[in-house]
Amino acid sequence: MTDASITYMAPHQLSTRLAPVYNEAIVRKFTIATMFWGIVAFLVGCTIAAELCWPGLSMGISYLNFGRLRPVHTSAAIFAFGGNALFATSLYVVQRTCRARLFGGAALAEFLFWGYNFFIVMAALSYVMGFSRSQEYSEPPWHVTIFLVIVWVCYAVVFVGTLLRREEPHIYVANWFYLAFILTVAILVLVNNAAVPVSLYSSHAYVAYGGVQNALIQWWYGHNAVGFFLTAAFLGMMYYFIPKQANRPVYSYRLSIVHFWSLIFMYIWAGPHHLHYTSLPDWTQTLGMAFSIMLWMPSWGGMINGLMTLSGAWDKLRTDPALRFSVTAVGFYGMSTFEGPVMSVRDVNALAHYTDWVIGHVHSGALGWVAFISFGAIYYLVPVLWNRTGLYSKKLVAWHYWIATLGIVFYMTSMWVAGIMQGLMWRAYDKFGFLQYSFVESVNAVHPYYIIRLMGGLMFLVGALIMVFNLVMTVRSRTTEEFARTSQDYPDAVMAGE
Amino acid sequence: MKDSGEIFVGLMVAALGFAGLVLASGALDDEMYLFGFSLAGFALFFDLMLLKHHYDRVDAARAEVRPMARGAARHD
Repeated sequence: MTDASITYMAPHQLSTRLAPVYNEAIVRKFTIATMFWGIVAFLVGCTIAAELCWPGLSMGISYLNFGRLRPVHTSAAIFAFGGNALFATSLYVVQRTCRARLFGGAALAEFLFWGYNFFIVMAALSYVMGFSRSQEYSEPPWHVTIFLVIVWVCYAVVFVGTLLRREEPHIYVANWFYLAFILTVAILVLVNNAAVPVSLYSSHAYVAYGGVQNALIQWWYGHNAVGFFLTAAFLGMMYYFIPKQANRPVYSYRLSIVHFWSLIFMYIWAGPHHLHYTSLPDWTQTLGMAFSIMLWMPSWGGMINGLMTLSGAWDKLRTDPALRFSVTAVGFYGMSTFEGPVMSVRDVNALAHYTDWVIGHVHSGALGWVAFISFGAIYYLVPVLWNRTGLYSKKLVAWHYWIATLGIVFYMTSMWVAGIMQGLMWRAYDKFGFLQYSFVESVNAVHPYYIIRLMGGLMFLVGALIMVFNLVMTVRSRTTEEFARTSQDYPDAVMAGE
Repeated sequence: MKDSGEIFVGLMVAALGFAGLVLASGALDDEMYLFGFSLAGFALFFDLMLLKHHYDRVDAARAEVRPMARGAARHD
């Protein structure tokens, strides 16, 4: 687990351990797509946030109405921005920690990239045309989902094939998280999308489940999309890139293994907490709540492991703003995984459900955790993938960091206030037992907070644009000229649990 | 092995493209029509890209062989 395992190798061992030629071209493509879709997701997010402030902004154009653009925003953020970031990092990490080129050849990897992004474009087009399954995070019509399944099976083949042809005896923990993400998402998508098409030539299909069963399956899927897509996979990113950025081994490798098994065992049960006070049986709601509370332990275990990896290297936060992104991401991870279980408690949920508090919670995870850990990884990856000496400007990274962090703070706090106010207004009764406020009064009351939320989102978007400029200049500027790499520049085995 | 992988992926994408044409041909709504033709277009461009990559590699290999052959001729 230390640098010594490399330093004390005999020269003949070093020569046999030269890194193979990795497929970096595909990682570069996914990295570019990550930033492209990130800008799209943030831009559409700001657009619909503005529409919530001033509903007339859609100008009566059906393609621009909130109901159609909202799934474009969520899918662009989760599946396009997050998904491309996960493809980029997982394909990078699995090659380096296994010392093996991607399985299946360049053509299959190219299909992953073009196929996945084709799926995203098709899904987005179907939403703006008004074709949606109306199930949150699972909106694409059945035939678009079948195309995704084909791409996903190829992804599993490439990832597992690379693991099987590894030169390292050990499978590094980041790969376990990525593998759980790939396999579980496959199961979730297959089960939740079970449907009977009206016709082979029609986009419409009948969902295979009815009523409350459909609701339960949907939120089993929905919550585990959060658990395995937005949590487990990004934890894989954390377990590789924070040690690399800090140049320190993982604080406790044993804790990372405990973190992995406990997290994946508990997450899968937590979905019913989305259905409190519905016709779902009470015991099922309580089960979801209990497992959500239990999730505190693995979540915080992982957070502590990520933060403690910086032991002895905290000074790097002063000089490396990219590392600051990764570490702040872990902080947001800890915060949102504390808030989530609190909100799953039935009595808290009675206040929070259907309010903007949920939106604030989701964005503390999506912006603070998912986007920040991705930004940290991309700031690390771009100079490596394009053979540059470093980033074009660390000062711009610092500007990005502070603008984005402030944006998240604006976003979260405004949604907390708006959400709790909504919840309190909706449950307020007068002395005659009538509701004290009409719904539209609560809409009026949150208007200022919606504007603050929009400001927060715009700040996050501006930060991302600064990042894009910095990355483009990193690749193009003469100040970051190329240098020749050797395998010794990448002692990945150090981090790979040797 | 490299070529067989490309052939497999190329054939798989071609089959998807054909399926796209079938879906577009009988489409009952705009979304299916758009998806079908887009899938066919995607397959066409993807397979053309594979062909281009193949011939780029062949050209690069030829370019490497020619100087070596010229060098060998000079020695003769």
